[in-house]
Amino acid sequence: MQQTRALALVLVAPALLFLAAILGWPLVQAVILSLQDVRVIGGPADYLGWDNYQRVLSSGAFWDSTRLSVIWVIGNALLQTVLALAVALVLNEKFPGVRIARSWIILTWIVPTVVVVIIWRWLLSTSGGMINPLLVQAGIVERPVGFFSTPWTAFATLIFINSWRWFPFIALMMLAGLNRIPDDLYEAARIDGANSWQRFKRITWPLLAPTLGVLAVIGTLLSFNVFDIIWLLTSGGPAGGTRTLPVLIYETAFKGYRLSEAATMSVLATLMLMAFAIVATRTLDRSDRQ
Amino acid sequence: MKPILKLALAATMMTPFAAYAQTPVEVTVWHMEQPPHRVARVQELIDAFNAANPGIVVKQEPQNWGEIYAKAPAALAAGQGPDMLFAIPDFAPILKGIGALTSVKDFVTELDAKHDFVDSAVEAYSYDDGIWAVPLYNMTMNLWYRKSVLDKAGVKVPTTWEEWSAAAKTLSADGVSGMGVPANKQLYTDQTVYSVMTNGGATEIYDADGKLRFDNPETVASYEFYKDLLQYSPADSTSWTWGEAEACFSSRACAMVMQFSVMSTYDTQAEGDAADLGVAAIPSKDGKEHNTIAYANAVMMLSKDAAKMEASKKFVSFLLEPANYGRFLNMEPGLFMPVTADGAKAESFWADPMVQKYKSQIETVVENGKNGRLFGFTSGRTFPSIAAISGQNIIAETLQTIVVSGKPAAEAVAAGQARMQEVSK
Repeated sequence: MQQTRALALVLVAPALLFLAAILGWPLVQAVILSLQDVRVIGGPADYLGWDNYQRVLSSGAFWDSTRLSVIWVIGNALLQTVLALAVALVLNEKFPGVRIARSWIILTWIVPTVVVVIIWRWLLSTSGGMINPLLVQAGIVERPVGFFSTPWTAFATLIFINSWRWFPFIALMMLAGLNRIPDDLYEAARIDGANSWQRFKRITWPLLAPTLGVLAVIGTLLSFNVFDIIWLLTSGGPAGGTRTLPVLIYETAFKGYRLSEAATMSVLATLMLMAFAIVATRTLDRSDRQ
Repeated sequence: MKPILKLALAATMMTPFAAYAQTPVEVTVWHMEQPPHRVARVQELIDAFNAANPGIVVKQEPQNWGEIYAKAPAALAAGQGPDMLFAIPDFAPILKGIGALTSVKDFVTELDAKHDFVDSAVEAYSYDDGIWAVPLYNMTMNLWYRKSVLDKAGVKVPTTWEEWSAAAKTLSADGVSGMGVPANKQLYTDQTVYSVMTNGGATEIYDADGKLRFDNPETVASYEFYKDLLQYSPADSTSWTWGEAEACFSSRACAMVMQFSVMSTYDTQAEGDAADLGVAAIPSKDGKEHNTIAYANAVMMLSKDAAKMEASKKFVSFLLEPANYGRFLNMEPGLFMPVTADGAKAESFWADPMVQKYKSQIETVVENGKNGRLFGFTSGRTFPSIAAISGQNIIAETLQTIVVSGKPAAEAVAAGQARMQEVSK
């Protein structure tokens, strides 16, 4: 037994060393930076101790951005789950062209972020965009809408665009989970007279739950760290209405020239995500055992 | 050993030294003029320079304005920085602060004697007993419109704020926005708001002793006026950058816009009728003196190596020679204006077909640029904290507090000054 454990350690050692080099070392550097008062890369560095942590934890901007990040994660999780589940259930059926549909659904996910941003920026523009004229012609609105003009519309629009981009990936994961459910169960349920809703509630949902759990953990970590779409579309505006924690960290480091303060926020964000990941994986383990 | 073999051996041994002696000095220039046609024009000039100077090889590496503030200090700290780097005035203090800049006072004085720089362009880089970059070109904000649109609506080109607001109101009809102005928390909004401020008596952000004086009645009045203009701008102005304003004007969705230049998009994406394109100075509160924001773009010399510094100076001198300077400025005709007296008269500048076509507009832009101002760099006083104020777009942020969050202008301006003080620490 001991020999097996030693062998396992030897086998995983290269991967662990690699991770330590590319993740551990930068993290250690971030912690060191957070204890100093570096303003720009290459600038002077004096030791400050915990001052940055005190400043960040007592700053309203940090907690506002953390709150926005939590809403961002929940909003994306809900919308992506609904869209992905609907699509996965459709793609799990057998109909002509299903193979092509399964390939094409991934298209929005493989489009580069910059292209996604350009597409949506111009679709939603009030000058020459396609969406506003359609809304006006349909009588839904009287005049063109500025989707990014108020904090809440900008935030909702960003959640929609980000979900539009990511839901195919989640849908494919769900589809893989659905494929693992034996057809016999549905067959038996049908013979017992269960309708579609009952089959979904009693078979699909419980057996898909483990996949959804894993996706929730991965999705939360990925969503929390989304920076590119937000920065490119709103840069955290208007009036800070879409300034999630990654955006605040970037602004602090590279717009406000407070690298150490940004490193402090990064360390705190990492701790939050690590705490979430540990609790979530333990919960998943426990439910797996049950 | 036979003499012939000895000779061959000696020749072989000497080859590396000979090659070393002939190795040209390689210098890299980073600039943020990314559009392909601008990169191509810069390359043409580099090729011409390299051909005329066999001992020097200049290479360009186009960068992005969005990233350069973070990338340049990191690259320089890692010893991977360029030898020359294009700059705007508020970027230079950042690199000076980390000790990356060398004063080029003597070099600028020498070039000034030869080409006669526009004073304000040099002033923006002159502080702490040094000159920290060589001015290359100027950009000034202007009011753009279509003459036919104004004529049809019976509107005269506005010269006062009152006329400007009235014109925007009249021109806002049939789905057209009378005046396109941004309200994004972004550099473009900093530029347009400051263009209004400097025409409302709020040019100075600092006192002579470096104390912030952003919170004053003139600034408040300027923000109130800007808010008034914004009601005639498209609903998505809060997310606008320069491109959206140009697109709004080109597509005729905006009757007037404030922009450095719209000539390129107007010529390629709109009707391109030079006779119908109007440009005017930004209206002022009382209609008397018309100011505008002006960006004197420059090049910083970063090399610590004497040979590379010499090669860099040679290249910059080459660019400023009237025969080459016009071609350099016309990498984007109508946008980049000369900062030297001989450059303003250069045949190479005025001979470009686009410049010929829009000659009267360009003459107006050059004229407007004479009253150019830049926040934090006025009256010969420069304070390095302007870099953080500009970097965080606090002028634009203050506007958003008014038009998005609904705060009264006086409160927002007071909060803006507090933010400026906070980031200046």
